[in-house]
Amino acid sequence: MSLKNKYHVFFSSKKHRREFLEGVLLILPATIMNFVFGYFAFIYTFYLSFFKWNYITQPLFIGMENYVRAFNELIGGLLGARWYEAPFFIGLRNVLIYTAIVVPIQTVLAIVLAAIASSRVRGSSIFTTSYLLPGFTSSVIIALIFIYFFSQKGFINYILNLIIPGFGYPDWLYLKSLIIPAMAIVAIWGTSSNLAILFIAAMQSIPRDVLEQARLDGAGPVRRFIHVVFPLIKPTVVYAIIVGTIGALQMFDLSFVMAGPQGGIEYSGMTVVLDIYRTAFLLLDPGYASAKAIVFLTLMYIPTVLFLRKYGGGFR
Amino acid sequence: MKKRFYYELITILIGAFFFIVYTMPFIRSLVVSFMTWEQASQIPPTWIPNPFILENYMRLFRIELFPKWVINTLVYGSIVSISNVLLGLMAGYSFALLRYLGRDLIFNALLALIMLPMFVTMVPLYVILAQLRLIDNIFALPLLGLVGVNTVFMAKQYFLSLPREFFEAAKLDGASYIRAFFEIALPMAKPLIITITVYQFLGAWNAFFLPIIVLKSPENFVYTQGLNYAFSRAWYVEYTPIIAGTLIGSIPTLLFFIIFRRFLIGSIVIRTYRR
Repeated sequence: MSLKNKYHVFFSSKKHRREFLEGVLLILPATIMNFVFGYFAFIYTFYLSFFKWNYITQPLFIGMENYVRAFNELIGGLLGARWYEAPFFIGLRNVLIYTAIVVPIQTVLAIVLAAIASSRVRGSSIFTTSYLLPGFTSSVIIALIFIYFFSQKGFINYILNLIIPGFGYPDWLYLKSLIIPAMAIVAIWGTSSNLAILFIAAMQSIPRDVLEQARLDGAGPVRRFIHVVFPLIKPTVVYAIIVGTIGALQMFDLSFVMAGPQGGIEYSGMTVVLDIYRTAFLLLDPGYASAKAIVFLTLMYIPTVLFLRKYGGGFR
Repeated sequence: MKKRFYYELITILIGAFFFIVYTMPFIRSLVVSFMTWEQASQIPPTWIPNPFILENYMRLFRIELFPKWVINTLVYGSIVSISNVLLGLMAGYSFALLRYLGRDLIFNALLALIMLPMFVTMVPLYVILAQLRLIDNIFALPLLGLVGVNTVFMAKQYFLSLPREFFEAAKLDGASYIRAFFEIALPMAKPLIITITVYQFLGAWNAFFLPIIVLKSPENFVYTQGLNYAFSRAWYVEYTPIIAGTLIGSIPTLLFFIIFRRFLIGSIVIRTYRR
C-alpha cells in the first residue's frame, strides 16, 4: 500500500463519520442538560418578563410593563420612596454597600493568608489548614453559627468591648444599620478563606529560582512580595476581584438565613436576589421577577466588562 | 541573619493571629455545644462547660426528621458525584481528543454558561420541574446538577494534559472511541475522578438556593435547609442545639477537606493555569 493510499484509508470519510457520531454521542448528555437548563431557561426568563402570570392561569402579554415597574422602583427609591414601595432599590443599595465592604477586604485578606501559608515558616502548614477550613463549610452553617455570635450578649460584642471599651451591646441583626455590616463580616470570614486557596495555588506556581534570585539581589521579604510576587499573581488578583464582585452582588444565603426570607426589619437585610426570589415564589409574580432578573443581570455585567477591558490584559 | 529571624517572628505572630480568627468560631461552637443555654449566653463568656451536657446533641437526634435530612443530602450528593464523573468525563474526553465538525462551537457555548447566574434561570427551572412533577422531590436536585459545565471543563483540561500516544495506539488497534474511553481514558483519570467527586459532594452538602426553591415539605429537606428551618421555626428558645447541629453539619466537609487537601489545591492549579 502506498503512503498516499494509507493516508487516504486513515482519514476516509467513513472514519470521519464514525468520529463525528461517537464524539457527539459522548457529549450529548452534557450538552442537552446544560442547553435546556441554561440557554432554554434564559430565553424562557426573557419571554416571561413580558407577561403577567401567577403560574396557574393563562399568561397575559403586557409588553414592557414589568420593566417599567422595575425602573419605577429604582427611581422611586432614589427619590425617597417609602421602604415597602421599593424593595428592588433597597436590595440593590444594600448589595452595593455589602460588595463595597466585602470585596476589597476579602481580596487583601486572602493574599495575606496565602503569603503566610506559602512562607514556609514554622507552623505554616497548620496555619494553612486553619485558614482554608471556613471556605469548605456551607455558608448556611456559617451564618447559623454567627447568628449566635452576633446576638446581644454574644461573642462579637464581647470582643469589641474588650478592644473598644464602652462599645456597648447592640443587637446586630435587629438594627437596620448593622445587619448588612454583620453579613459582610460573616462573608469576609468565609470567602477570604475560599479565595486564599486560589492565591496559594498562584504563589505555588511561581518558579523558586525567580524568588531566589531576588533574595540574592538583596531584596527583603516585603520588597520581594511587592516587586516579584505581586506582578506574577496579578492575573489571579483580577480574577479574584471579578469572581468576588459577581458573587457578592448575588448574595442570597446569608441574607435568607440572617434576615429571613422577607428581608428583615423594613427590608434592612434585603438583597436583589432575595427580592427576585420573594417576587417569584412568595408573591407569585414570576413575570415581574423575570424582568428584575434581566435588569439586574445587565446592571451586573456592564461594570464587569468595563473592568475587564481596563485591567484584564493579563487575564486568560 | 538576625533580620531574617525578626521577619520570621513577625510572620508567625501574624499567622497565629489569623489562626485564632479562622478557628475561633469552630472552637467556640464546639465548647458551647456541650453547655446549657444559660451558660452559653453568659457574658463574659466562659470556656469550660459546667455542667458538661450532651443534651444538645440528644435533642438534635430526637428531631424525627434529622436522619431524613442527612439521608436526602447523601442521596443528592451520591447521584451528582457519580453522574458528573461519568457524563462529565465522557464529554471532556470527546472535546479534548476527538475531532469533528462543531466541536469547538459547542464547547464554547457550554463554557459561556458559566457566566449565567442561577438567579436568572430559577423561575424557568421551577416551571420545568413542575411540568415534570418533580417539585418537592429530592431527585429534582440531582437532575438539575447531573453534569456541570465546570466538570466538563476540568475533564477536558485533564485529558489534554495526558500524552496523546495512548489514544493513538488504541485508534490504530481499531478500537472504537467509546471503547477507548472506558478502557483507557477512565482508568487514567483517577485524580480527576477524586477531585470531581469531592467537589460535587461538597457542593451538594452545602447547597441551599436550589433546595429552598424546589423542596417544600420538611421531610424532603436537605441538611442545611432543615437546620435553618428548625431554627427559624423557633423549635427552640435555646440556641445551643442549633450550634450542635451546625457542628455535625460541618463534619463531612471538614473530613473531605482534611483527607483531600492536596488534591483540591492541585486541581485549582489545573483549573486556573492550564487554560
